Amino acid sequence: MIESQGSAVTVRGKNRLRNGRYREIWPAVFLLPAIFMLGVVFVFPLISVVKFSFYAGRVGDLAPVGFANYYNLLHDSVFLIAIKNNLKLLITAPVSVALALTISLILYEGVKGWRTYRIIVFIPYIIPGTVVGLSFSYLLQQSGILNTVLNRLHLSKLALDWLGNGALSIYSVGGLLIWSQLGFSVIALTAALLSLPQEVNEAAIVDGASKWQKQRYVIIPQLKNTIQFLFVLQIINALAWVFPYVFTLTRGGPGNSSMVMDLFIWQYGFSLGSVGYASAAAVYLLGLSGIFIYLYSRIRRNQEEL
Amino acid sequence: MKRLRELGLLQQGFLVVISISSIYPVWFILQTAMKTNQEYMLRPLNLPQGLRLENIKEVFNSFPVLHWAFNSLLVCIFSVGFCTVIALFASYSIVFGGWKSTRAMLNSNIALMVIPPVTLVIPMFSLMVDLHLMNTLPSVIFFYTGLFLPFSIFLLSNFMKSVPRELIEAAKIDGLSAISTLWRIVVPLSSAAIFTLILVNAIYAWNELLIAMVFLQQQNSRTLMSGLVLFQGRFSTNIPLVMAGALISIIPPLLMYIFGQRFFIKGMLSGIGK
Amino acid sequence: MLSRFSTSRKVGKLSFLIAIVSITGLAFSNTQTFASSAFKSAADPYSGKLVYWFWAESDVPGSTAWMQAAIKRYEALHKNISIELVPQGSDTLQGAFETTAQSKSGPDIAMQWATLPVLTPVWRGQVASLKGLVKPSEMANWLNTSENVSGGEVWAMPLYLLGEPFVWNKTLFKKAGLDPNKGPTTWAEFLAFSAKLKAAGITPIQMGLKDGAFGAWFQATVGTQNLDSVQELKDVYTGKAKFTDPKYSSYLTQLDTLSKKGYFNKDIASIDINQAWQNFAQGKGAMTWTTDGNVAAWVKAGLEKQIGVQMTPKLGTGKLANFHTATQSISAFITSWSKNKQAAATFLSWLHQPENLASWYEATGAFPADKRFSAANIKNPLMKKLFALNSQPGQLWAENYAPPQVDSNGLRPFGAAVVTGTSTPAKAAADIQNSIKQWQTQQPADFKSYKLWASGK
Repeated sequence: MIESQGSAVTVRGKNRLRNGRYREIWPAVFLLPAIFMLGVVFVFPLISVVKFSFYAGRVGDLAPVGFANYYNLLHDSVFLIAIKNNLKLLITAPVSVALALTISLILYEGVKGWRTYRIIVFIPYIIPGTVVGLSFSYLLQQSGILNTVLNRLHLSKLALDWLGNGALSIYSVGGLLIWSQLGFSVIALTAALLSLPQEVNEAAIVDGASKWQKQRYVIIPQLKNTIQFLFVLQIINALAWVFPYVFTLTRGGPGNSSMVMDLFIWQYGFSLGSVGYASAAAVYLLGLSGIFIYLYSRIRRNQEEL
Repeated sequence: MKRLRELGLLQQGFLVVISISSIYPVWFILQTAMKTNQEYMLRPLNLPQGLRLENIKEVFNSFPVLHWAFNSLLVCIFSVGFCTVIALFASYSIVFGGWKSTRAMLNSNIALMVIPPVTLVIPMFSLMVDLHLMNTLPSVIFFYTGLFLPFSIFLLSNFMKSVPRELIEAAKIDGLSAISTLWRIVVPLSSAAIFTLILVNAIYAWNELLIAMVFLQQQNSRTLMSGLVLFQGRFSTNIPLVMAGALISIIPPLLMYIFGQRFFIKGMLSGIGK
Repeated sequence: MLSRFSTSRKVGKLSFLIAIVSITGLAFSNTQTFASSAFKSAADPYSGKLVYWFWAESDVPGSTAWMQAAIKRYEALHKNISIELVPQGSDTLQGAFETTAQSKSGPDIAMQWATLPVLTPVWRGQVASLKGLVKPSEMANWLNTSENVSGGEVWAMPLYLLGEPFVWNKTLFKKAGLDPNKGPTTWAEFLAFSAKLKAAGITPIQMGLKDGAFGAWFQATVGTQNLDSVQELKDVYTGKAKFTDPKYSSYLTQLDTLSKKGYFNKDIASIDINQAWQNFAQGKGAMTWTTDGNVAAWVKAGLEKQIGVQMTPKLGTGKLANFHTATQSISAFITSWSKNKQAAATFLSWLHQPENLASWYEATGAFPADKRFSAANIKNPLMKKLFALNSQPGQLWAENYAPPQVDSNGLRPFGAAVVTGTSTPAKAAADIQNSIKQWQTQQPADFKSYKLWASGK
């Protein structure tokens, strides 16, 4: 791949005199709008947020405080809860991918009604997180629909206080996250399954491999890329896209038990106007996601070298 | 043979449970929106006593919901449109532009994908204040366009890698300009990926809350989602009203999905297959 | 073959794209709604466009509808004025205002709860002084303006006077074998009543915690009862005292006791305070704390015979325990960026005209915060009792003395954490103290203003 690009460069170099500067410039011109947008939306804010993190007070009335925000955050029990909760939400990644894998493998076998199931499973993905949170905040209330149903089915033991119990509330958020993202994973995995070469399948059948063996040793390894991609996507979701769910479902409560980073940053940055403190929290969050960027790029590099 | 049938039953049961849990919340929204508050509190599980549209009417009377929906639509169309065009050009340049650093570009692009948007919101906010763009749709459209770019470039450039290089070379020899090659050859070949991209980004733009809430605070500048969160505070003792608002906001994407689902899933399938 | 892709088509397409972009640019520039270009002349107090962020529904059911009607009347009187009423939710009231203030734009008239929620934006330069906008003779009629004084000036207009009484359900009291006409007056009695109610299968206390409100409510009603003066309350925020001192935080232990004994409704943590009041009105719980406005709504709904009202039982030994909890609650102020300050002030003053006060009382049953409102208008005995309570001197709502940041990040969540059992009273007290310290370091300017204000300046 790299060689072919090398040749492209030389071809372009030769063309330069004959065709004027047009050919030379287009790659840069094509890239420019993206560079501009990424510069304004990503690079500038990233620099700016680091700068803000060393100040106290409000925009227009900032006072430098050195590393005090960073230090205070580490002693802020709510911030620590928020980090822990985001890490807890990472559990949704394996759970949701495993669930999606199971579903898509069953659908792939062509069980009765697979077409209908596929359509239905995708529905939650198009429901806005805000609406999901709103409706579940009533469904999951201690005296809400879910518990009413559980009680009627004589499963009172399962009728927990999903939102009101501080030990449980963040897992309810996680459940919502899985619920609303599952459809996308199923479709992505189905797509990958359908693009598998048919011969592999047939060869396995000729070899007399059992269904389970076929799945375990033939199909799943070939889905590796997709699984990895979904895994990363889910991790990003769990780290940084939970705001609408938490905001509508629990507002971080009860008693901060379901606080997460994006809600924390929003609260300080906007509701309270402590821009510096919020920015320092944002820098910590960036560090945390930096770890995942690093890990992912390592995995990708290893793969490409193979 | 018997074991196989049991397995089949088990699978069906599993899928039925998944399906019910996928649909029930939607059903809950629909049926609750039709109930009076009294009815909901006494019989939350029962069917509503008829197709009662008073709640919907009340919602329309209390909030400029149509205005919000229109705003959401504009935000959706323009952010997704701009982003798709910009990402197409960028991906084409990255894949076929003869850059030596293609891989480094793609890797830094992936790094941007993982950056939590919330970390960008505070500086963007002060930028928009300085530019006097607060409470205007362009502020949000601009932000979304930038936010969607990394994922869009990732998806498109991955897809474009599978476009045969010879085709591009041939176009070049035929004297086709880069822009025509992109427009006439690469775009049609990538249509599935573009479709998926538009879909995923449109869903995101329609659903986004945090940025919309922060940047659009005037009653008439809100999007549907940032307006909807007001319901919870306003109608906390009248859940059917909240659900009526929720219902209004999911009808557009749901209708689109129901009527276009074949196209929808097909496009998604071939789009993320790579 | 490829040559059929002509350049002219490409150019056509591009220009089409550019046209679309520029058209939409034009379209968007019109969506900036708050440009009040349609109305001119700032000098005329009866012209202009006013955006009014309103909150009161939670305190006083029916208030939004009344305000909408009042605005219609006002607009009919003055053809050149238009007022856009934007009702706010309790949960986003403070945050939305601070966010919009940071963008240096927003409503012309906003509302916040009295004292710190009003004074914080005042100190941040987001509020216009009423001096010169409202006649002193007019302002002299307003009640409780002292709640919003800083630097010797009144910054906000009260709309109504609101007590936060302790209420109980007489029917349920009877059912549990208690005297339906007598509420608990001491902590011991409160516990004994609760035990008896619980034994009878009745939820003793109905409350809501989802928005954290009760965490602060319990501090405001019970938590101040070991203090002797308002100054002592301010001391904990100026740093002269620590919240971990039992004088300030022993209410958390009481909260813990009530929770551990199971005296709260089971779903306390997943419903908000308004849902809890709705449940109380439906007989799902024997006791709660509420507002005058809600009692008035229940009276209107015919529940009068069922409800007993009184001051919060005496659970502490400080001098403040003798005072009723009442405040002007939400107060309206004019923002510093408003282009129509005089028009806003004129409208606010108009709301206090006697005929409007009377119509407010008629519609909502909540007491207008104005001397011109005569107690003779109150006919209902239950409401009379509440009005008498509110008219006593020394009334106080302690939550209003906490900086909004401490309220939303300290008092509310950590009180809630004790109720749900995720924290202990000692830890919660330390956490609240920590939230006070955080506010002091993160908002040095606010902290300085608070100290100045607390010293009486």
